[in-house]
Amino acid sequence: MKALGDLGIVHDTEVLIVGGGIAGLTAAIATKEKSPATQVLVVEKNFSGWAGQANKGAGVFMFLGPDDPVERFLDYHTHNIGCFLEDQELLALFAAESQATIENLDSWCHTFCRNADGSLAVDTFKPGLPWRLAAAEHDTQMKAQRYAKRLGVDFLEKTMVVDVLKEGAASGNAPPAAGTSRAAGAIGFSLLDGSCHLFRAKAVILATGGQSYRIMSMWNGARGDGIAAAYRTGAQVRNAEFGAFMQLVNKRSKEPLLGAEDALYNAKGECLSSWRREFEPDVDSMAGAVWYREMLAGNGPIVTHNDENWLLQHTTKRTEKGGHGDDTPELWNRPKAEAFWERLLSKTAAADGRGPVSEVFPGFLGEFSPVRVDHQMATTVAGLYAIGNTATSGCAMAGAVPASPGRIRGKALTSSAWMGIRAGAAVLDYVGEVPPGQPDADLAAALKKQIFAPLRRHEQSRGPGLEPIDLVRQVQAAIAPVGYSIYKKKGRMEEALGLVLEAQGRIPELSADDPHHLAAANEARAMILCAEMFYRASLAREESRGWHLREDFPERNDAMWLKWILLQDQDGEMHVSTEEVPVHHYPFQP
Amino acid sequence: MNMIDIDLEACDGCKICYKACFVDVFRWDEAAKRPQVAYPEDCVQCNLCELNCPTGAINVIVDWNKPFPSVLEHGPRYPE
Ligand SMILES: Cc1cc2nc3c(=O)[nH]c(=O)nc-3n(C[C@H](O)[C@H](O)[C@H](O)COP(=O)(O)OP(=O)(O)OC[C@H]3O[C@@H](n4cnc5c(N)ncnc54)[C@H](O)[C@@H]3O)c2cc1C
Ligand code: SF4
Ligand code: SF4
Repeated sequence: MKALGDLGIVHDTEVLIVGGGIAGLTAAIATKEKSPATQVLVVEKNFSGWAGQANKGAGVFMFLGPDDPVERFLDYHTHNIGCFLEDQELLALFAAESQATIENLDSWCHTFCRNADGSLAVDTFKPGLPWRLAAAEHDTQMKAQRYAKRLGVDFLEKTMVVDVLKEGAASGNAPPAAGTSRAAGAIGFSLLDGSCHLFRAKAVILATGGQSYRIMSMWNGARGDGIAAAYRTGAQVRNAEFGAFMQLVNKRSKEPLLGAEDALYNAKGECLSSWRREFEPDVDSMAGAVWYREMLAGNGPIVTHNDENWLLQHTTKRTEKGGHGDDTPELWNRPKAEAFWERLLSKTAAADGRGPVSEVFPGFLGEFSPVRVDHQMATTVAGLYAIGNTATSGCAMAGAVPASPGRIRGKALTSSAWMGIRAGAAVLDYVGEVPPGQPDADLAAALKKQIFAPLRRHEQSRGPGLEPIDLVRQVQAAIAPVGYSIYKKKGRMEEALGLVLEAQGRIPELSADDPHHLAAANEARAMILCAEMFYRASLAREESRGWHLREDFPERNDAMWLKWILLQDQDGEMHVSTEEVPVHHYPFQP
Repeated sequence: MNMIDIDLEACDGCKICYKACFVDVFRWDEAAKRPQVAYPEDCVQCNLCELNCPTGAINVIVDWNKPFPSVLEHGPRYPE
């Protein structure tokens, strides 16, 4: 029996938060505000406040105002977005608390755009849609980090957490079976010196963002570590088949061209956007399918006409001085966010040009976020919570769409903050009841061996081993093609899954010469696992619903498939099961 | 590969660029009190280091031809 201290540097805390993006920070603040005496430690792979997605051009928050009935929102959502796979109770709760979430966040950060009278500066995404948008400056995360620090939250930066530690007996490399013991900490390493770090905690909150497979620029930090850690420790995963967010992107810069789907044309000059309805909330996977079919038919390249792109015109107007109506001088005045976009757009313009017509293709963002959590943000493993992009699909409030954003631009930020605040409250109840965690040291030793294996391999082997980036590219080739992940069909998905499993078979060859590449190697493992989850769940759902489009099962099948697909590790196998959505207990039925 | 061009003469050693990067491109040289561009191959042009450098010492020069997975690649094998 080993002691934890023999394995590396041990940190003790009550609430361990992994990931210091907007979700992790709101959870930390909510916990500490309510209970200043509770110890809260945020472990962050890079630097909290800087890392994460909320300062990569984001800042628009959706919410329901006092005049927006929750019922109308649910009605619209179930019929047009989530296709009745929503947990309608959770979605209603979120909608009802969305404005309070924004006010809460603003009381900590003071970054929301306000009118002269102090009210929130509010816009609509498209007129008629049953929600509104507010906007925060680009440094919201940074200010949240500073506020958390003032409250006494501890931070450990440049440290990557790889696995969750549990209490209880473990045998060999296998973690204890799900439900048999509670989460009691985590294990990882320093990106700077490669030292092993172990965390002992009463509860663990995973807030590491989603999985975007290192494909798109601003989504590049979302590498699925927390999703993989949760799965490996026995947590259930839900709605994995929807983790295939895409946007049409400019051909050269690969940066998204919002609204391009509304004005698509093929090389014959035929308009391809006829499926788009007037009240379409946001991009959908059909844009990818249309692109794919046209390309295969030899009708490429596919272009978008920017002057017909309503969203592009409207977004530009919203931020231009004097651009939004006659009496609103500036709706959203966000100098930092504008500086970010100006710098990026001036560089991309050099690549793409700025003509009226842009060639586009579907860029794969993934936004895979399938860790199953309940209304308290608790996973199926005791003491383990998940929030933000780690669990937005898994909490099921968005239904049959990749979440976040779940086809509502601005929902990702509001829901991440909301989930953080909710988890903060829940975790306090939990840590009040349980003794300090005692992670199993034998399990920790086995995990440490696995985590550091690529470094050892590099030291032992003379020839060059498998570089993590090569394995990452193999996974990307299995997930980015539209015919695999967006417009799905059994044979193609089996082929893609085959590529993923081939990559999985090469994990033992991974080699890393320093902690940076060791991180990449462990991330590659997470990517492989996430891609496997995506294809196993996608193959199981033999229908088309919402974002999930099957060429071989083009119809929605409510008789068979008002079910959630669940995945869970069972003795090293990915076990697929289903659970009826309790739709008859909900306000809206198909 | 992107090039992160840093004018080390202009740099005042504030460490912001090192902290700003979300994909671990920089290392900090404690002795010289200057940033090191350790992993430029991972840079994805978020521009946050460049935008937040108080002395304007950083210029991120983007390579738009970095490897990017094909989204159609397997397509021709499925004429159907
Ligand atoms: C360009 C862009 C524009 C967007 N615009 C909007 C918008 O206007 N409105 C909106 O609602 N949403 C928007 N989004 C989405 C929104 O920003 C995200 O959904 C939200 O910020 C996610 O927050 P998060 O805390 O869950 O995850 P993240 O922001 O991804 O944070 C996760 C954190 O965990 C850290 N981490 C990861 N792995 C580990 C590990 N193993 N160990 C320790 N730490 C780890 C990361 O470094 C990171 O800091 C946008 C996203 C992008 C990229
Ligand atoms: S541009 Fe962004 S990704 Fe590139 S080095 Fe600077 S901070 Fe890092
Ligand atoms: S941000 Fe600029 S001034 Fe500060 S350390 Fe980096 S290069 Fe030097």
